[in-house]
Amino acid sequence: MNKKRVWAAIGVLAAGGALSLLVGAALARDPYTREELAEQEKALLASVDHGRDLWHGSNPSISTNGLACGNCHPDAAASNPHTFPKYQADVGKVIALRDMINWCITTPQAGKPLDADGDDMIAMEAYAFYLYRGKQIMPGLATEQTSPVVVKSGVGYPKKGSGVGYDK
Amino acid sequence: MIDLKNASRRDFLSISGRAGLATLVASAVGINVGMVEVLTAGTSKKITPFRFAILTDAHLFSIDDHKFDIFLAQAVEQVNAMSPAPDFVVYGGDIAQNGRDDQLVKGRKILSKLKMPIHFIPGEHDWYLDMGAAWKGHFGSPTWSMNHKGVHMIGMNSILVRDFWTAAGMSAKQRMDTMEMLESPIAGPWGVREEQLEWLKKDVKALGSETPVVVFTHSPLWDYYPRWNFQTEDAPEVRSILSKFERVMSFHGHVHQTVYNKIGNMSSVGTLSTSWPWPYPDVQLAYPEMRMTRSDPAMIQDGEGPQHIDLEADFQGTMHYDPFGNMLQPSIKDGFKI
Repeated sequence: MNKKRVWAAIGVLAAGGALSLLVGAALARDPYTREELAEQEKALLASVDHGRDLWHGSNPSISTNGLACGNCHPDAAASNPHTFPKYQADVGKVIALRDMINWCITTPQAGKPLDADGDDMIAMEAYAFYLYRGKQIMPGLATEQTSPVVVKSGVGYPKKGSGVGYDK
Repeated sequence: MIDLKNASRRDFLSISGRAGLATLVASAVGINVGMVEVLTAGTSKKITPFRFAILTDAHLFSIDDHKFDIFLAQAVEQVNAMSPAPDFVVYGGDIAQNGRDDQLVKGRKILSKLKMPIHFIPGEHDWYLDMGAAWKGHFGSPTWSMNHKGVHMIGMNSILVRDFWTAAGMSAKQRMDTMEMLESPIAGPWGVREEQLEWLKKDVKALGSETPVVVFTHSPLWDYYPRWNFQTEDAPEVRSILSKFERVMSFHGHVHQTVYNKIGNMSSVGTLSTSWPWPYPDVQLAYPEMRMTRSDPAMIQDGEGPQHIDLEADFQGTMHYDPFGNMLQPSIKDGFKI
C-alpha cells in the first residue's frame, strides 16, 4: 500500500468517525435538567410520604386488629429493608421485602394483603428504603435488628408541614 | 460488669462464689463472659425484704377478644402464680391504646383478677383523648407515694407535654392520634413538669438520706432516645431532688424492652410490655448485656411479659423479667442485680 492510499483510508475512517459522532449526538438525550430531577424527586417523595401514611394505618384494610406497621417499626426501625431478599424461616424460602410486608399485614396485623405490584406496596417499600438510605446492602442478614438513618426531627424525609400534627 | 469501687466484701465473695475468680478477673479487664454483674452499694437503713411485680403497656383496643386482652390476662395469671407472691403490683402506664374509656374499663376488669393490690401511673395512650379525665376517674391521682416495709415508693406522671393542639385547632381525637405515634415530632418532649417537681420536693423533704427510694414513671428518667420519648425532659431535676438519697431505683414502662442504666445514685430499669416489643434505637448502651434477643415476629408473644423485683434487707434488688416466651439473653435469664 503506497502512502496515498494510506492517507485516503485514514481520511475515510476519520470522516466515518465524525459522522457517527454527529449521529450519536443527535440521538442521545441531554442530561436531566434540574427541573426534571426535581420532578423525579417530588414523585419519589410523594410515594415515600404515601408509604409513611400506610405504615401508620391510613389503609384500614391492611389491619383488622388495630395494629399498624409503625407499632413494631417506628421510623421503619428493624424493618431491615436492605437485608432482602433473604431466606425467611417462617415462609421456608427466599423472599423479597414486599413478601415480608404482606406477611406482617396478614399475620400480626390480620389484614388483607396489598397487591404486590401495586402503588401502595411500592410506597411501603419506598418509605422503608428511604429511611434506610445510605445503609450498606446486606442480603440475608437475618438475626440482627438494624437501625434506619438517624431522624433528628420531622418525618425523616423532606416534607412540608400540614399543620395538623403529623409532621413538622 | 462490676462496680469494684462500690463492691463490698460480701459482694466480692458473692461474685467469687457464683462465677469464680476467673470471671471476676475477666470482667475486671473488660472481657464479656456472658454474665451480668452490676453491683451497687446498698443503703445503711435496713428494710423488710419483699417482692413486687410490674405490668405495663397492654395497649388495649376497643375490639372484643383482642389478642392483647388475652396477653394481659395471661400476665395477670403469671403474677398470681408467683411464689412467693408479690406484695403489690405497679401498672406502668398505657393500659389503653387510644385513650378511650372502654379500653380503660376493660383493663381495670382484667387487672381486677390480681390477688394483690395494684398501683397505677399513666402513659400517653391513656391520657390525651380527655387529658386524663377518664384515667383519673378509674385509677385516682397519677402522683402518689407510699411507704412499704421501709421503702419509700413514688409514682409520677411523666408524659406531660406542652400544648401543641390549641393553636393548631386540633380535635381531641387528633391530639390523641398525634400522641399515639411514637415518632411523631409534633408533641415534643414529655416531662413531669413544675407541679410534680414541687410535689416531689415536699414529698421527700422529711426523709433521711438513708431511706431506700423506688420511683415509677412511664418514661425513663434519663436521655435514652428522645426521638421516641425514651426520655423525660425534666429527669435531671427529678434526679437532683432525689440525689440526697444513698440509693434510688427507677422503673419505667414505654420502651417495651429490657434495658438498664445507672446515673449517680439512681439505677434505671426498663420493662417488657404485654403487647409488642419496640426495637432498640441506634444508641450505644452502657449495659448492652441487658438487651433482649431480637424478637421473632412469627411468635406473637415474643418479647413480651410481666416482671418482678426482689428487694433484700440492705436494699439490694434483683430484677427478673418473666417473658411469655424464651427470649432473654443468658446474661439476664436468671435476673440481675440492680
